[in-house]
Parts: sequence; structure tokens; C-alpha cells
Amino acid sequence: MITSHTAFQIAGTLYTLALLVALAPGKRPLPINLPLAAAVACNLLAVGLRCHQAWPMLPMHLGPVALPICLGLLYPFTAGDCEPALRRPAQRILLAVIVLLTALALCFPKDFYLPFLKSKTLLAHGFLWFGVVGKACFVFCAVWALTALLPSRQPHAILAMGRSHRWAALGFALWTVSMFSGELWSYLGWGTPVVWEDPALTLTMAAWFFYGCLLHLHLTKSWSQTHRALYASLGGLVMLALTCLPDLGPFRSPFGL
Amino acid sequence: MKPVFARLWNRLSSINLTVALCLLLTMDLVWGYFCLNRRTALFTPLNDMGLIPWAQTYGSHNLMATGWFFLLLALLALLAANTFACTTSRVAQLLRAKGPGSRQRLALKLAPHIMHYGLIVILAGYLCSYLFTQVLTSSTLAPGSHLSLPGAGGQVQLLAVEPEYYQGERLAFWKNEVIALKARLLLSDESGQRQAVLSCNRPVRFQGYSLHLIDFAPKSLNGMKMKTRIDLHVRKDPGVALYLAGMALFSLGLVLYLYQWIVHREAHK
Repeated sequence: MITSHTAFQIAGTLYTLALLVALAPGKRPLPINLPLAAAVACNLLAVGLRCHQAWPMLPMHLGPVALPICLGLLYPFTAGDCEPALRRPAQRILLAVIVLLTALALCFPKDFYLPFLKSKTLLAHGFLWFGVVGKACFVFCAVWALTALLPSRQPHAILAMGRSHRWAALGFALWTVSMFSGELWSYLGWGTPVVWEDPALTLTMAAWFFYGCLLHLHLTKSWSQTHRALYASLGGLVMLALTCLPDLGPFRSPFGL
Repeated sequence: MKPVFARLWNRLSSINLTVALCLLLTMDLVWGYFCLNRRTALFTPLNDMGLIPWAQTYGSHNLMATGWFFLLLALLALLAANTFACTTSRVAQLLRAKGPGSRQRLALKLAPHIMHYGLIVILAGYLCSYLFTQVLTSSTLAPGSHLSLPGAGGQVQLLAVEPEYYQGERLAFWKNEVIALKARLLLSDESGQRQAVLSCNRPVRFQGYSLHLIDFAPKSLNGMKMKTRIDLHVRKDPGVALYLAGMALFSLGLVLYLYQWIVHREAHK
């Protein structure tokens, strides 16, 4: 019987293969859909096994393992209707982020915590999954902003920033729903909307203010496009790393080497 | 006097101030993560003892670890003022400019402002909650025992505890552990008696108090035999209604905003 960890190791290998295929030089891009689909399937299996094991409670610290799935499933949206000049770098950056996240989740797993009784509610599951999908949208926002920073023609940068803004808005909405689910869960379980035992709540709020600020910057255009792109890309990646931090444990050799 | 007020209002409603405050809040909360992670025990009493007593004891005596929290309060207060001024100015503009027969369009245009007002209500609710909540921590009940609610003349009696044990195979260490617990309570006051069921994520409301199940015993069929008991947090929180209303308002604004966004996209296709 395959374990969740083994399935995730296979997923990590396949994500890396998909990235290598995407980075291969040549005018005609090689098809990466096959390794990517297989990787997402293995990742789904890894997450599914952990959820099945803990159900009806919530598996602990699942975020970094579940995030690559959302990114993989949303990957076709990077293709959309845009030109290859924009699409290819965006897809490459996205795959690099997926591989990096998978490597982090494999090297610093925190899957040794047992689920707890109070997580047996839909609000807890909503808090996790809206948060994960919201974070995936933030990654897309950062990826498009990075694409806008690449040396290219001006219309490309404007298009890329438009996409970055849309993903930021969607991510912000989902992140807000996740936060509200968490607050309601916290109120019902502990009697207070903010439980100060959990330091991760500060980073959740930090990400909310960070993207709230980005949306205001986009709407008011008070910063130049390059500055906004820098903020959304580099700032976004720093926020991603920070929000993943509470879900990462001590170092463990990913393949038991 | 009027120009001074107008100038202050203009400065307060600046969107650049919003951006600066959001950036400062982000940095402060990241700093807060590291402080909270290292000194969690300092912040745990904040759940129960209220803001002022906490600030006078734990907060003021450990400023290196709690400074970020006081800065957070100041920044949130400024953000609330800035959001109120900025939103009110724009809503006033919108209402002045509204033409006939455009009620739906106006509602959609107001969506972000509804979210902003929602945020202010949420923050006011939290402040109210941290300033005025009364908490009875660690109120323990054994079957048959009573708990009197202060100032309300009501009594809570534990009638029975109904545990459900985990019998599955998926989580080996959960075998025979309690997976769900229902505590049957008898609530009595001058108007009569009624029964209520309390469980982990299902508090009971009675005479303005909410009763939350925090812990219980025994937790397992095996192991050391312990006397049956439940530990409660009994809270009277006047901020709950406010922050729940704020969340509802924010969610309404969000739904209207997303609807407007979709309609706008469809119109431009």
C-alpha cells in the first residue's frame, strides 16, 4: 500500500520532470501536460490519503503539500488566451515555484502532529481550503508580476500586470473567506475570534494587509507599474514563504538519504 | 476652525495613508509572528483577561516581546479612522452624483465602501470584545453539579455526558479515544428550565453568556480511569454581535464587488 509520503515524493519527482521539460530549449515547446497531470494526480493521492486518515478531523499542517495541487490544477489558466511570448515565461516561473514548494514540503515536513477534536467542523476545512486556493491565486499574482518585469514590449507588461491584479483580487476574496471561516470556528470552539496561542494568525493577517495594499495600489495607480510589479512579485514571494513557515517542520532528508 | 477640520479630514482620508498603514501593519504583524512564536505564553492570557489588565501586567512588563502588539493597536486605530474618512468622502461623492433610475448600479458602486465599513465594524467589535468581555475560566462541572452565572441568577447543571469513541482503523492512536462528546445541560432561571446540548464546536447561549466546552475527561475507554467532568469557558462578550455583523457586511460587499466584476467583464467581451 502506497503511503502519503511516497505519493508526494513521486509527485515531487514528476513536478521536477515537468519543469525540466518546460525549460528545454527549442522553438516548439515540448508537451509538459503529461508529467504535470501525473504529478498532480500523485499529489492529490498524497493529500487524499492524509485527509482520509484524519477525516472527519483536519489533517495538521497540510498547506505546503496541498498548495502545489491547486497550482497544478490552475496551471492551464496561465495559458489562457495570451501570446506565447508571455505564456512561456509565466509557465516556467510557475513550475519553478511549484518545484520549490514541493521541495520545501518534502525537506521540512510537519506531518507528525495528530489531528485534534475541535477541527471536526466544516469551518475548519473551509479555513484550510479557502486559504490554500487563495494562496495559489497569490502565487499566480506574483508569477504574472514577475513576467511583467521581464524585458519585453510594453503591451506585454501591461497585460501581465492586468492578470496579476485579477489574481490578487480573487486571492484576496478567498483569503478573506478563509479568515472569516477561521474566526467563526475560533469563536464557536474557544469563545474568541482570535486565539492567541497560534502565532500563524499574525502571518495570515499580514498577508491580508499586504494584498489589501496591493489592490489599493492597483486601483489608484499611485505607484509606477514597475514598482507595483516589484511589490507583487518579490513581496508576494516573501509573503508566500512567510505564510508557509508555520507549516514547515525540522529538516528531514526528502528521500531518506 | 472649519478649514483646519477640512485639512485634517483631507489628510486622514488620503489613500497614500492607507497604503502606508497597510505596509506598516504587514511589517508589524511579521515582527509579531516571531515574538508570538518565541513567547506564546505571554499572549495566551489575552484570550481571557481582557486588554486593559493584560496591557497593565504582561504587556507593559515585557515590552521587547509585546511592543509589536501595542504598535498594532495604534496602527489599527489609525487605519479605522483613515478608512472611515476616505470611505465617507467617496460615498458622499457617489450619493451626490447619483442619477435617476440607477439604484442597482449605485449599489454595485458602493460594494467596496460596504467592505470598508464592514472592516470598521469588525475592528470596533474586536475592541469592544477585548475591553468588555467577562470570562469565567476553568469552570468545571461533574454530572449533577451546578454552576451559577454571575449577576444573572441563572444556573447550569450538567445532566449527562455522552461520549462517542473512535472505532475506525485509519488512525491507530485514536482507537477507543473520544471522537465526539455531547454534554447535556439543564439551564434554569426565574422563567423556567430547559435542556441544551453542548459540544466541542457548539456553544450554548444562556442569559447573555456563551458556554464553550474547552476540555473534558475521561478522553479514552482505556488507560487511567478519571472522573467524568467537563471544563467550560463562560463568556459574556458584547462585541460578538458587532464583529459578526461586520463580517456579514464585509461579505455582502465582497459578493457585490465580485458580481460587479463579472458583469463588467461580460460587458467588455
